Amino acid sequence: MKISPINKLTHSDFFNRHINRVINDDMFGAKTLVALNVGKDVFAYGVRFRTTMKNKDIPEEQRPFVASMDLMSGVVTAIMQIGVGFSLANPKIQGKIWDKLFKNCKFNDIVAAKKGFSQVMALIGSTILAERILVPLIATPCAEKFENIFFNFGKKNTSDKYHSVTFEQFQKDIMTSDDNEKVQTFKSKFCRKKIKRNHKNCPEKNS
Amino acid sequence: MTVMKVSAPKINQHIATSLERFSQNGGEKISNYVNAAGKAVIAPFVIMNNPFTHKDEKDREWASVKQPVEAVITLAMQLAALSVLYKSVDSLIKRGKISFKSIENAAKDASLIPEKFLKACNNNKDQALKMYKAQCNEILKDRLGAVVSMFTYVPVLAVSNRVFPKIAQKLVNKDENKSDK
Repeated sequence: MKISPINKLTHSDFFNRHINRVINDDMFGAKTLVALNVGKDVFAYGVRFRTTMKNKDIPEEQRPFVASMDLMSGVVTAIMQIGVGFSLANPKIQGKIWDKLFKNCKFNDIVAAKKGFSQVMALIGSTILAERILVPLIATPCAEKFENIFFNFGKKNTSDKYHSVTFEQFQKDIMTSDDNEKVQTFKSKFCRKKIKRNHKNCPEKNS
Repeated sequence: MTVMKVSAPKINQHIATSLERFSQNGGEKISNYVNAAGKAVIAPFVIMNNPFTHKDEKDREWASVKQPVEAVITLAMQLAALSVLYKSVDSLIKRGKISFKSIENAAKDASLIPEKFLKACNNNKDQALKMYKAQCNEILKDRLGAVVSMFTYVPVLAVSNRVFPKIAQKLVNKDENKSDK
């Protein structure tokens, strides 16, 4: 008889142990939900960063910030969601909130309700509080810094008369020029960044 | 005009009943609802009013318009994909194509049935086994649903990256035109 891949999974020791743990331990169930959510988000932010960078429909000037926002949100989300979600899945904290909200309520199945509560609390904590409030607050300035470090290289700036000049063009030109302004622009444009400071022809490195 | 008063204990009772239902239905769909609601309503507000950034307003408008557009597309696609998945898993379960090792063992040895199901059914082993099986099915659907939701992000982002710049351009330009006037 041919065994389907799903049946292979449902007969594996790992999955059956996991199921029994989720059933017997509400906190583990809530933490699993948070961890799966984080996994989905990290994957999504990775894909988002790639697609945003390639998206020519977004104006070139806005693209780096939108993409940086995606990447930084992914990093900060993973850390914050696990921190907040796991703390709210803690039985002591949950017990206190439960007593405050539902002490006088009637339940048909209190075990099921408590399980649902632990999952909802962990979800609201990780997706609303952490991902939507704390993450943008932290990720926006991080994205700004990330954009300044990695994307401002070669960014169009209408007040900069050398904005369209590439690193290689500058390099050729600067060797034969005594123009101090050009040298300064070269330094500020390409050598401020750590990635370019290590370039063998960077004047800052050689000076 | 009569104003209906809704007391706090009444609201709590409604939430309490929903919690029981939530526990029976599994978390993946609700997780998607919560995620989309947070993304559509709270995220744009926080991006626009973040006191810790000095980014110019246009960039922030672009980043914040992306959130609700993506939330709507994500929710629609994920719920559609999950409905298809859940229906196919349910039909496989009905046809007996999916079985669990834990359930097979518990059917042979009743002491393996989790105590909470036995308590809930007043030690009726057949009913407890049914509950155990239903719970296993829900967990399986949830886990498969999480994987499917994750991979729906690829088409979701492809679509939203096409749609959102058009909406953002309209909204941001509309604001600019208003301010010019």
